Amino acid sequence: MEGNTYLELYLDRCAAQDDLALPVSPLFSPVVPYEGYLRNSSNPEIVFSSHLEVRETSGDFSSVDLSFLPDELTQENKDQTVIKSKCQTEENCKTQQNRLPLPSEQLRVKNSSLSNSHSFLQPGGTDSVQVSPEKPNSDTLSLSSITPMTPMTPLSECSGIVPQIQNIVSTVNLACRLDLKKIALHAKNAEYNPKRFAAVIMRIREPRTTALIFSSGKMVCTGAKSEEQSRLAARKYARVVQKLGFPARFLDFKIQNMVGSCDVRFSIRLEGLVLTHQQFSSYEPELFPGLIYRMVKPRIVLLIFVSGKVVLTGAKERSEIYEAFENIYPILKGFKKT
Amino acid sequence: MPGGGRCPDCGSTELVEDSHYSQSQLVCSDCGCVVTEGVLTTTFTDEGNLREVTYSRSTGESEQVSRSQQRGLRRVRDLCRVLQLPSTFEDTAIAYYQQAYQHSGIRAARLQKKEVLVGCCVLITCRQHNWPLTMGTICALLYADMDVFSGTYMQIVKLLGLDVPSLCLADLVKTYCSSFKLFQASPSVPAKYVEDKDKMLSRTLQLVELANETWLVTGRHPLPVITAATFLAWQSLQPSDRLTCSLARFCKLANVDLPYPAASRLQELLAILLRMAEQLAWLQVLKLDKRSVVKHIGDLLQHRHMLVRMAFQDGTAETEDQEKEQQGQRQEQRHGEEEVDSSLDLPKGKRPASPALLLPPCMLKPPKRIRPILPISTVTGDENISDSEIEQYLRTPQEVRDFERAQAASHASTSVPNPP
Repeated sequence: MEGNTYLELYLDRCAAQDDLALPVSPLFSPVVPYEGYLRNSSNPEIVFSSHLEVRETSGDFSSVDLSFLPDELTQENKDQTVIKSKCQTEENCKTQQNRLPLPSEQLRVKNSSLSNSHSFLQPGGTDSVQVSPEKPNSDTLSLSSITPMTPMTPLSECSGIVPQIQNIVSTVNLACRLDLKKIALHAKNAEYNPKRFAAVIMRIREPRTTALIFSSGKMVCTGAKSEEQSRLAARKYARVVQKLGFPARFLDFKIQNMVGSCDVRFSIRLEGLVLTHQQFSSYEPELFPGLIYRMVKPRIVLLIFVSGKVVLTGAKERSEIYEAFENIYPILKGFKKT
Repeated sequence: MPGGGRCPDCGSTELVEDSHYSQSQLVCSDCGCVVTEGVLTTTFTDEGNLREVTYSRSTGESEQVSRSQQRGLRRVRDLCRVLQLPSTFEDTAIAYYQQAYQHSGIRAARLQKKEVLVGCCVLITCRQHNWPLTMGTICALLYADMDVFSGTYMQIVKLLGLDVPSLCLADLVKTYCSSFKLFQASPSVPAKYVEDKDKMLSRTLQLVELANETWLVTGRHPLPVITAATFLAWQSLQPSDRLTCSLARFCKLANVDLPYPAASRLQELLAILLRMAEQLAWLQVLKLDKRSVVKHIGDLLQHRHMLVRMAFQDGTAETEDQEKEQQGQRQEQRHGEEEVDSSLDLPKGKRPASPALLLPPCMLKPPKRIRPILPISTVTGDENISDSEIEQYLRTPQEVRDFERAQAASHASTSVPNPP
């Protein structure tokens, strides 16, 4: 059957391209980056809309071994594949390909992935693709219908980069007045210089942290890399103070600030970013090499550098840092190519 | 005014507090009858019962223009005149200063900060009108510390909620280049060093544009880049006579301060030009180095757009490709967009093997230290803390006594001994 021959040809080509396959670009969040991506290249637009219209493909694939393809391309998960295969089709469109004639509509899926825009723009073709003006609506509609049942990568891992927490600042109330001179005398790891600063600076080795202990009984603990470590360190400091003879308690432990950092691995045009996001950004190369981006939701300050390194600070919760990074990543990707 | 008061004449409850000159009166709004009236003057005993209010809390402060604010406004006008700014700038800067003064944090700030605030207002005005004024210039004029200036500037921009556009590079080039004293012969400037202003300006502009395109400007202070570009432009216009002149000597001749990073920017710019020169066949055979490439800057700038595209590949596409190719770098199969020229040239062997990456210099240098990837810690925060661990941080009584003795000894030695 000629249908099978074409299918085999397509599958062979897919197998050959597996070595050269682009990493699946993270474009599945239904808002801005998706549309921005579509606007950039016209080919995938046409290709994608054709995918959406394909619902009733009746091709018989049972006889062919599809195990090497990602799960989405098998018959059962046809609906989900229309999104994921968009990226594959994009790469298929870009690479040099022989254009196959388009005989029957049962091959529409393969056709749309095989042929490039040239064949699509031919009027009166069997694959009657219409680039509908309401395409964005249909996109979001199909996306919303797809997301509940999909085993696709969750949106939170879109960028594939997880910011690393570098520092946590927390405070705790020991609820008793302290004699700082006595603490500095009896503790090996304490330094106290009342002329310079009115607190004892104490350090412990595990977790590697520093604490400022004030005579009112309040304490600030800095340097921990996770919330649990910060809490453990604060408890250790309280225990040291207890052993020195003070009735120290452990009240109102609160994380005041978290700092995270990560690398997006591409260079960023800071001048462009400050032009488009003027109300949030502050870029003064005469003062500081990085761009200071004050995100409103969540309320986080990001330092963005030309090398692609991003520092996020001002968070009270870990999720705020992750959310802020997922918000900024699509914006930064927009400035990837000059 | 509700409050239980009634007009004795008409009986209405609509009483309004209305002052007649400085005498407060309660008047009925229906019939106009004065119900009660306050005293016009205070007696001595009355005044004795009044409590004094500090000036900052009295109403007079916000109504009048305080002396320090007047001084500040005068300084703004003086600064605008020294910089020879148009008169509209003066009004805008004055308005900003007055606006800033409304905030209590600025009113209560030290004099040093108020002085720097003058500079900030002028700078913001200039930026909004695209007048190229650098922070360095203002700090020099005000004898201000750059740290104080930067802190005040960031604070005032946030406080007033202003949109300050970036420094306009092209205008800065024109202003800065015009300040170089090389356009007329003088005792310090020999004839062969004198240059035509327009030629130098246009070439410097082209070089700065090239630097901007090749990531040498983003994130860096703009002025050293312009200094380096001016120097190269000047050298390239008459290389035979000027190649012997160094950057430092050039700035001294031109009566301009040499910014410290300019030397490093110069090297970066020369490296870019060398890479571009490798793409021109007639320059390849000459085997140029950093000194000889200066002679050909004119040609390189003429074709700079094409040469940059040929000499460099986009850094991002390159890393993606390398990720997907496991082994066997068959360049013909790369994406044809940017790399076609370079990959096709490889078999010919005429062009360099792989084009350099077009990335900011900070990304091209190897990392100073590899960031250690921390193992995932399984700390819960509620573990038991062993006594021995805490004991290690405490001094034994013997150690305490020794420490006290040592401290006393050090205090005794540092204290001034009594004269005999």
